Amino acid sequence: MNAPFFKFGLFGDDVSLIVAFVIGIGFGFFLERAGFGSGRKLAAQFYFTDLTVFKVMFTAIITAMVGLFWLSWVGLVDLSLVYVTPTYIVPQVVGGLILGVGFVVGGYCPGTSCVAAATGKLDAFVYLGGIIVGIFVFGEVFPLVAGFYESTPMGQVTVPQHLGMPYGIMVFLVVLTAVGGFAGASWIEKKMATKVKES
Amino acid sequence: MKFSLNNLTINQKLALIIGSLGFLAVFAGSPYKGFTSTIDSEELATIVEKEVDHVPPEELAGWIITGKADYRLIDLRKESEFLEYHIPTAENIQLPSISDGQLNRTEKIILYSDGGIHSAQAWFLLKANGYKGVYILRGGLEDWKDKILFPRLPDNAPPTEVAAFEKAKLVSTFFGGSPQIGGAAASGVPAMALPKLEAPAGVQPKAGAAKKKKEGC
Repeated sequence: MNAPFFKFGLFGDDVSLIVAFVIGIGFGFFLERAGFGSGRKLAAQFYFTDLTVFKVMFTAIITAMVGLFWLSWVGLVDLSLVYVTPTYIVPQVVGGLILGVGFVVGGYCPGTSCVAAATGKLDAFVYLGGIIVGIFVFGEVFPLVAGFYESTPMGQVTVPQHLGMPYGIMVFLVVLTAVGGFAGASWIEKKMATKVKES
Repeated sequence: MKFSLNNLTINQKLALIIGSLGFLAVFAGSPYKGFTSTIDSEELATIVEKEVDHVPPEELAGWIITGKADYRLIDLRKESEFLEYHIPTAENIQLPSISDGQLNRTEKIILYSDGGIHSAQAWFLLKANGYKGVYILRGGLEDWKDKILFPRLPDNAPPTEVAAFEKAKLVSTFFGGSPQIGGAAASGVPAMALPKLEAPAGVQPKAGAAKKKKEGC
C-alpha cells in the first residue's frame, strides 16, 4: 500500500476528520513543548536573540523533504498524489509579506496563536480575534480583490519542475542551506547574547 | 585530534545524516519513478464484468445539463474530428499522450471515442497507471448520436416509449440535435446534421481543470 491514504480512498471524509483531529492535537502539543506557545520566543527570532523557531521549522522542512523523497524513491509514497498548491506569484509574495508583518507585530503565526490560546494566553485570544475579523473582512471585500488574487498564475508547479533541474539536486541544495543556516543561527545567537550582556 | 564519530555532538551527527541523505539524493534520479502500480486482474475483470465503469449517455447528458463539474470528459479522437463535433465540455487528448500528466490520478475521468474500443484501451492504460476514477461513455459517440442527438421513435411505439421519447426530445433539442420519428425528422430541421459547436444555452464550458481545491495549511 502506498501513501497518501486519503487520496487512495483507504478511508473516507469522516475518518479523515478524526485523523486530522489526532494529528492536529499532536502538532499543537509538540509546538507547545518546543516553546512555540510564547509570543516572546516567537518574536525573539526577529531580533536574532533566539532562533529556535527558524531551526525547528527548517528541521521540519528538510525532514519532510528528505523523507518524502526517499519514501517515494523506494515506492512507499506516491508523490504524484501529494497536493501542490497552485502558485500565483505576486499575490502570494504580497500575502507572505502581510503575514510576516503580522507575525512580527503580533508575536504569533496563525497556528501558534491557537496553541498559545490553548494555554490561556490573553494576547493569543486577541490575536485569534484579529484573525476572525480579518477573515470576515477579506470575505466581504473579496470581489474587489479577486482580480489580483488570481493574477500571475503559474499553475501547480514545483521549483525543480520550473527550473528544469533534477529533483535530487534541489533536495541537496535545500539541505545545504538548512545545515548552513543552523550553523549561522547558532553563531548569530551567541553574538547577540554577548551584545545584550554588554549593553 | 583524530576524527571520530564519538566526538561529534548530537546536532553534528544529525547534520551529517541529513547531509548524506541529501547528497545521495543528487544521484538517486527522479523520485516519481519509484512508484509502480500493480494491476489487480481480478478486480479489473470484476469491474468490466459488472460494467460499473460505464456511464450511459443519458446520464452524461443529465450531468452536462445540470452543470455538474466534478468530472473531466475526454475525447480520444483525432483533433480534426474533435473540432468538427464533440460533446459539450469535452477536452481533446489523444491516446499516446493520455498518461502524460494532463489528467490527475484522483479525478473522475470519462472517456469516449467513436465506438468503444479506443476508450476501452485508454481505460486500461489509465487503470494500469494507477488512475482511480476512470469511466467509459457507453457506446461512445455513436450511442451519443443515436440516443441523445437523434433519438428515434419507431412507428407504432407503445405508450411508455412515447412518454420516454418526449423527454429524449427535450434533451436532444438542448444539445442541438433533431429527434426522429419513424423515418423522418420530427421538426423541420434537416435530419441528422451534427449540431454547431457553440455550447448549448445554460451550459458553462468548464475552464480546464480550474477546479478550486481547498487544501494546504
